[in-house]
Amino acid sequence: MSQPAIHQHDATGSTLVNHWQRGVPVHGEPVITPTLLFFAALAAVGLVLAAVRFFSPLGPFSGMNDAYAWGIWKTFNVMTLTALGSGPLAVGIAAWVFNRHKLHVVMRTALVSGFLFYATGLVALGFDVGRPWNFYSALLPWRWNAESAMLEISICMPLYCAVFLAFENLPLVLERFYYTGSDQTRSVLRDIAPFLRRIYPFVIVGAYVLPLMHQSSLGGLLLLAGNKINPLWQTPFLPLLYLLAAGLCGLGFVIFLLLICSLRYSRPLDLGVLGELGNLLSCACFLFLAVRAGDLIWRGQVRAAFAFDKMSILFLIETVLILIPAILLRIRVARETPRTMLKMATLACLGGMFYRFIPTSIAFIPAHRASYFPSLPEVLMAIGYIALGIVAFLLAVKYFAVLPGEIKDWNYVFRPIPKRQPANQSDAEGGTRWPASLSTR
Amino acid sequence: MSPAVIPGEVIPRQISPSQFAPHPVSRRQALLGILGLGGTITGLALPVLGSEHPAHPVAPLDAVSMLYDNTMCTGCKACMPACNEANGLPPDTVLSGGIWDLPADLNSKTKNIIKLYQEPDGPGFSYVKRQCMHCLDPACVTGCPFGSLKKSDWGAVTWNSSLCIGCRYCEVACPFDVPKFEWDNWNPKIVKCEFCYDRLKKNDQPACTAVCPTGAVIFGKRTVLLAQAKDRITASPDKYFENRVYGEHEAGGTQVLYLSNVSFQKIGLPKLGTTSLGHYATKVTSVIYKWLSGPILAAGLLGVVIKKNWNRHEAESAEQEKKTGLHEQL
Repeated sequence: MSQPAIHQHDATGSTLVNHWQRGVPVHGEPVITPTLLFFAALAAVGLVLAAVRFFSPLGPFSGMNDAYAWGIWKTFNVMTLTALGSGPLAVGIAAWVFNRHKLHVVMRTALVSGFLFYATGLVALGFDVGRPWNFYSALLPWRWNAESAMLEISICMPLYCAVFLAFENLPLVLERFYYTGSDQTRSVLRDIAPFLRRIYPFVIVGAYVLPLMHQSSLGGLLLLAGNKINPLWQTPFLPLLYLLAAGLCGLGFVIFLLLICSLRYSRPLDLGVLGELGNLLSCACFLFLAVRAGDLIWRGQVRAAFAFDKMSILFLIETVLILIPAILLRIRVARETPRTMLKMATLACLGGMFYRFIPTSIAFIPAHRASYFPSLPEVLMAIGYIALGIVAFLLAVKYFAVLPGEIKDWNYVFRPIPKRQPANQSDAEGGTRWPASLSTR
Repeated sequence: MSPAVIPGEVIPRQISPSQFAPHPVSRRQALLGILGLGGTITGLALPVLGSEHPAHPVAPLDAVSMLYDNTMCTGCKACMPACNEANGLPPDTVLSGGIWDLPADLNSKTKNIIKLYQEPDGPGFSYVKRQCMHCLDPACVTGCPFGSLKKSDWGAVTWNSSLCIGCRYCEVACPFDVPKFEWDNWNPKIVKCEFCYDRLKKNDQPACTAVCPTGAVIFGKRTVLLAQAKDRITASPDKYFENRVYGEHEAGGTQVLYLSNVSFQKIGLPKLGTTSLGHYATKVTSVIYKWLSGPILAAGLLGVVIKKNWNRHEAESAEQEKKTGLHEQL
């Protein structure tokens, strides 16, 4: 249910306000802010370098070498950050499969951020591969090597982002067109809306199956690296653990993003929704830790885990980062304290990111003595892709109804796009009413 | 029979409320449906569950092989220019200051190299020849997304430029660190020994074995060379390290075999298990992904639950919409 009752009673009988009732665009804020310009500049630097890289060999642009053939574009921008972009998967499954009704209202925040993480990760991949012109093989199934985890990822990830995530993000774009567009636009949208609603449940099934596949395959990639990866991380359970880490990172990042944005745009918080997310995050952390611990015991690596050498300390940091939110978020008071929630979500995200990043880099030790540290252009490009995502997000929250807010702030007025006819606001109470023909009943 | 329709009459389009009511499928029916679907798929998939990646692959009878014995190698390096010539490779002149071919290791200009191992304290030394090991179940071939690297005739692992996307997964996967990438080329290639596949097709032996003056590296069928290597061990016990052939079982077995009088690890051959990496990496996923049965099952399961929840959600949001006049946001 997307619009929960405005008032509900908590256990003590006092009345709580559900502040998050529907997506509302950010009003009363300039679009061009110093923050936006800062990230736009970073993105521009990254993209210019990427364009130059396309006409140049990889060598001068990166610190990669034959022993460390994968640099941060793959190991961080893709393997680590798409875990943070798994919010649509984690929150979506909670909302649509496990009926956590409250969470529908934060789906759009998860969807937009998830789409941007995936899209920028795929851009990073596009400039990382050496022979992108041969990628058309993805359309020729007889060329597929079905047993390759890399094949699964290189087909599944773009498909998920370009079709399924894009479709899930479509309603919030069309909604804007509806309220700002001409009568003709509106009648077209009225015609296609029922069709979109009819296929929506089927599309979201795909939107959950695909990331279940490729998020686990990202861990599956590392299996072939065999004993180049330290035994604390190299395990047949890598695919499952990578998937669980994606779940906890996705939940953690949605909490983090909601809190940061509410703070920045002075939105009231909805502790009911946040508490629900916090509860799920704690469960996801415990599930991850249980599998991780069970795996280490099964493979007899417990002694190595507590050897307090470099790898053991990395493992312990990673585990503690996930353990603290797992425990603290079981306490109700902690879940109802925004400051604590922000801290715990940050810790969980960091822990999950550590888990996804370490086996691809620090704990990845090729047979030959070699070292890798990203070069300056490599780092600038990686930052540029992330900045591009941030710029897009900052624009999205102002032009579209992404961030959750109160119904009273929803007045049907979308920020006009410059140099375009503003929305027709002649109707009663300054807004266009939702047409009866679009109603589901 | 269809009801009579008077031509020209406008039939009002009606949306029946039952369209949005939960599906008339009971929980039990749904569960049975899922079990049936899952059972059918599993039943169909089980008989063909492949042993495409057995833990310990058996070499085909026509598998060719190379046997390198470092006690016979004089370090003349004749094999290196022969390799460069046969493969059209440029000389690597970085270390020699632009004068002659002097690679430090296998690289994008070097598919074959003779290296020297010297005991840190003592007069002992040994040469070692490095090139692709041509595994029986190569990790690079298992990982290569579009089959650019493949196990060709006689077991040679070859690279096809028109299928490679340059993802460099082969470099990450190879336990011997063999495939190299042209970092300084806009049109980069993966460079690795391909067992002189073009020469094999002409019924010729690889350039390095053809040119070796002492017989330190020889060419033949894997079965023959393996037996020959074992004969050498029997003929002079305790001459060779661990009295065994490196490559017989390493990573599931390789088609390049080594005899050494010093530790294999000292001359740069990694200590590996006997299970093929392809087997380790695909033993679970090959079951889940066989005919996409896992994803299809997951989709069926999620589909039933989501459709049910969706219908309820639609009904609730329609009610809400009536109450507040606000449309529901997806």
